[in-house]
Amino acid sequence: MSIEALDIEHRYGRTVALDKVSLGVRSGELLALLGPSGCGKTTLLRVIAGLEFPVAGRVRFEGRDVSRLGARERHVGFMFQHYALFRHLTVFENVAFGLRVRPFWRRPKRAVIAAKVNELLELVQLGGLAARYPAQLSGGQRQRVALARALAVQPEILLLDEPFGALDARVRGELRRWLRGLHDRIHVTSVFVTHDQEEAFELADRIAVMSAGRIEQLADPETLYTKPASPFVCRFLGEVNELPFALHAAFTRSRDERSTAFVRPHDLAFERLDADGALAISSVRDLGPGVRIEARHASLARPIVASYARERHAAEPLRVGDRVALAPRHWVMFGDEAGHS
Amino acid sequence: MKRGVARPPALRDPWWLALPLILVALAFAALFLLLPLVAVFGYAFEKGWDVFVTAIGDPDAREAIRLTVQVAAISVPANLVFGIAAAWLVTRFEFRGKGLLVSLIDLPFAVSPVIAGLVYVLLFGLHGWLGEWLAERDIHVIFALPGIVLATVFVTFPIVARELIPLMQAQGDEEEQAARTLGASGFTMFWRVTLPKIGWGLLYGVILCNARAMGEFGAVSVVSGHIRGLTNTMPLHVEILYNEYQSTAAFAVAALLALLALVTLVLKHAIGWRIARTTSDESSTEARP
Repeated sequence: MSIEALDIEHRYGRTVALDKVSLGVRSGELLALLGPSGCGKTTLLRVIAGLEFPVAGRVRFEGRDVSRLGARERHVGFMFQHYALFRHLTVFENVAFGLRVRPFWRRPKRAVIAAKVNELLELVQLGGLAARYPAQLSGGQRQRVALARALAVQPEILLLDEPFGALDARVRGELRRWLRGLHDRIHVTSVFVTHDQEEAFELADRIAVMSAGRIEQLADPETLYTKPASPFVCRFLGEVNELPFALHAAFTRSRDERSTAFVRPHDLAFERLDADGALAISSVRDLGPGVRIEARHASLARPIVASYARERHAAEPLRVGDRVALAPRHWVMFGDEAGHS
Repeated sequence: MKRGVARPPALRDPWWLALPLILVALAFAALFLLLPLVAVFGYAFEKGWDVFVTAIGDPDAREAIRLTVQVAAISVPANLVFGIAAAWLVTRFEFRGKGLLVSLIDLPFAVSPVIAGLVYVLLFGLHGWLGEWLAERDIHVIFALPGIVLATVFVTFPIVARELIPLMQAQGDEEEQAARTLGASGFTMFWRVTLPKIGWGLLYGVILCNARAMGEFGAVSVVSGHIRGLTNTMPLHVEILYNEYQSTAAFAVAALLALLALVTLVLKHAIGWRIARTTSDESSTEARP
């Protein structure tokens, strides 16, 4: 089921949470809402779920306007950041909840509910824990119970708020791949919120990068990385060197004196100069998989960073104090508005 | 709850400080709490079990007990409903004047019960604002059951709400939201999610509320008119008996009230322990991956 959010505007008191945001989610895809905290991503997710009603704008599911429907009528599966499991119910009863609260003429028979719940618990690999209470589960197990509970009502849309936020790093990676695998099997249209770009890249088909209540760019991971639409997107997706005109004119041949070139550390190389130069290597650090090399320029507050593969560094080693020139393989140019760093 | 966790040696007080403190606390507790309790039961059974039973079996005493139970049976459910509604309103909604409402809920704790009683006399008494209107319709509030119930409801007003507001604030409403997305109606959500969540806290509040409702003296004393066998509750009956030098009978009824207090304390402790255990279950497992 496709989702369309049109010109959504929302405020909390005087703070603008969503500033005329439009978003289209294709049927069956897994889309990430990525942005720093406070950018409005969770609000947008809650607006889609019907847990929050925007000041203006429409929400459509498969072309059908659901703007006026509450969370109860929208039939979406929603997974809360802290899971919001019913603490007084067992795992089994938590998952069964959505089926049990149906009006009696649509409520499945006991045996049907039991079969369905057990099937879901198998799907999320919690078959043996049906009788436990949420307080007796680990974080990762709770997360999977929450997922099974959301899926029990057979939603055609699944919304996940920071699905891995409350887990420690080790469990997170594992569950991420598991969730991607699950999505490939059941193909429910899914939107998840995250502030972790690595998570968005690993899981999502497409990513909407948000900032200050707006969507900066909506694209697949590759486009986002190679053709960022704004300096914000470029900065948010990982470490990047921002080179002013004086430093980039030599290789970009640009004539715009107010433009800035954005270069990722792994797209940058330093070329050793025999003559004297303004750029000098200030630090060389071995990080294991690669080598991180920094060079300083008198006009820049921060060093320029390049990351080298081990072999490359071994072939042409650089030492602190070497005078160098910049030799990037790839860069992105932005005009005026970027020139403030 | 960190029960039985030994404090590190650096934080342990020296014996010469700890010992006098313990002795002073114990002496105070014995003198002001334990001794009166023993005295109440001692006087009540001074002349034997038979005298005690006769005193309790006296028609006026039985009527006082009946009235006390009746008043509690009306005012406790009233404040149960009010307490849930107020706690729900305060913890789930943002509105102007919320701070004022919270302070108002506390008012009965701040004001002397005698004043509460006087206010009702001023409102509903024969010469009060509504007195004439009520008298014309032959409705008796003051010196009758409605007045006693009103005064009791006023005095016990904050207890349930006070118990629930911090609890519901701490628990948040994410579980309710989850119930909504799973298709639960408002009623189902309240019945199957909210009520079980606040259950123990609610019971705790109700027990305290009941104890206070049965034991209230000041406000009820003003509105009841002390009509023996008609508008006398147990605390009022104790006073009358005592003033008439029937001290054994007075202490017999007082012993019943004291027993109620003891039962309340035991229940309160058991439930408090239960609440602490369920919440500590959650906090101790929170850290697990």
